[in-house]
This record gives sequence, structure tokens and C-alpha cells, in this order.
Amino acid sequence: MKNHVRERRDDAGLSQADLASAVGVTRQTINAIERERYDPSLELAFKLADYFDCRVEDLFDPNLVST
Amino acid sequence: MTQTLNSNTGQLSRMRRYRHLMFSVLLGGVAISLGLRSLDYPLVAEVVYLLGFFGFLAIWQGTSIQLFDERERQIEERACAVTLTITAFALIFGASAGRLLPLLTAYSYPTWLNAVIYAFIGQFIVFAAVYGWLRFRT
Repeated sequence: MKNHVRERRDDAGLSQADLASAVGVTRQTINAIERERYDPSLELAFKLADYFDCRVEDLFDPNLVST
Repeated sequence: MTQTLNSNTGQLSRMRRYRHLMFSVLLGGVAISLGLRSLDYPLVAEVVYLLGFFGFLAIWQGTSIQLFDERERQIEERACAVTLTITAFALIFGASAGRLLPLLTAYSYPTWLNAVIYAFIGQFIVFAAVYGWLRFRT
């Protein structure tokens, strides 16, 4: 699923490891989400949205599936 | 935010430490057991082997922290599904070959392959039972 996690993380000046620590997953999971190779669970999507203080739909776009 | 980051960093490093410990105990148990077996202590070797396995289980189930994240669990589930699919193909074609080859050729089917086929059948019976139970529960 297309997402804006990398942009949000870059804007916040965080590394993948920092974000991973903040939401309680491994760095590899954040990397997989950013590369659109893994769609997070609802729980993790909400955690990420909460962390970046935005709505889930601002972070993830279900209509834009990467090819 | 910094406090949350620090506490989660600690949790992730604990997770990594526990995972290393878990697999070290298991592999250590196997390695020591093989060593003891080669030194002709088969009974002690089995005890060490089982201790390694139970140590692995104790760390996995006993710790209060989550040792694997959601992506790792999903990878495990997909690996299980792919393995089951491969096993299904091996069972379908293996069983068919086992029936046809002795009929059509002079080839004598090795008996140990029958044991493998029955093991696969057993695995699918267990799968069906577990599937039914999970379906009933949810």
C-alpha cells in the first residue's frame, strides 16, 4: 500500500531505528513498510498515525497500490 | 517523546537479547548433546538436548515482553502456508507415483517412502483438526 511514512519520518528527522523503537517494532518492519512490501496491521497503522499526529488516511492511501 | 523513545529502545534491545538467548540455549543444547553423544554418553546427551529445548520454550513463553513483531509473525504464517502447499503437492504426486510405479514398471517402491506419505497424511489430519477448532472458536 502506498504510504507517506518515509516523508513523515524524514520531516521529523528520525532514523528508521528511532521510529521502530517509538512504535515497538523492528527497524526491518519500518523499512518494509516504507518500501511498500508490508502493509501494517490496524494497530500499528494507528500507532504510526498517533506518533506523527495525523490521521491514518493521511499516512496510508489504500487507493494507490504500488506496482 | 524522548521518554517513550528511550523506553521502547530498551524494550527492543531486551527483545533482541532474549531472542539471542533463546536460540543460544536451543543450539547450545544441541551442540553439547552431539558432543556428549560422540563421547559415548547417550543418556546425558538426551537430557541436555531436552533441557535446551525446554529452556527455549521457557524463555519464549516465560518472558513478559513480545519477542517477535507483527511482520515476523506474518512471515512465519506465510512460510507455514507455503510449506503446507509444497507438502500437499508432494503427498498428491508421491502417493500417485507410489500406486502407479509398481503397476506400470518393474520399479519397486522403497518402503521408507510409504512412511513419509503416511507422515504427510498425519500432518494434514492434524491440520484439519486444528483448522476446524480455530474456525469453531472464531
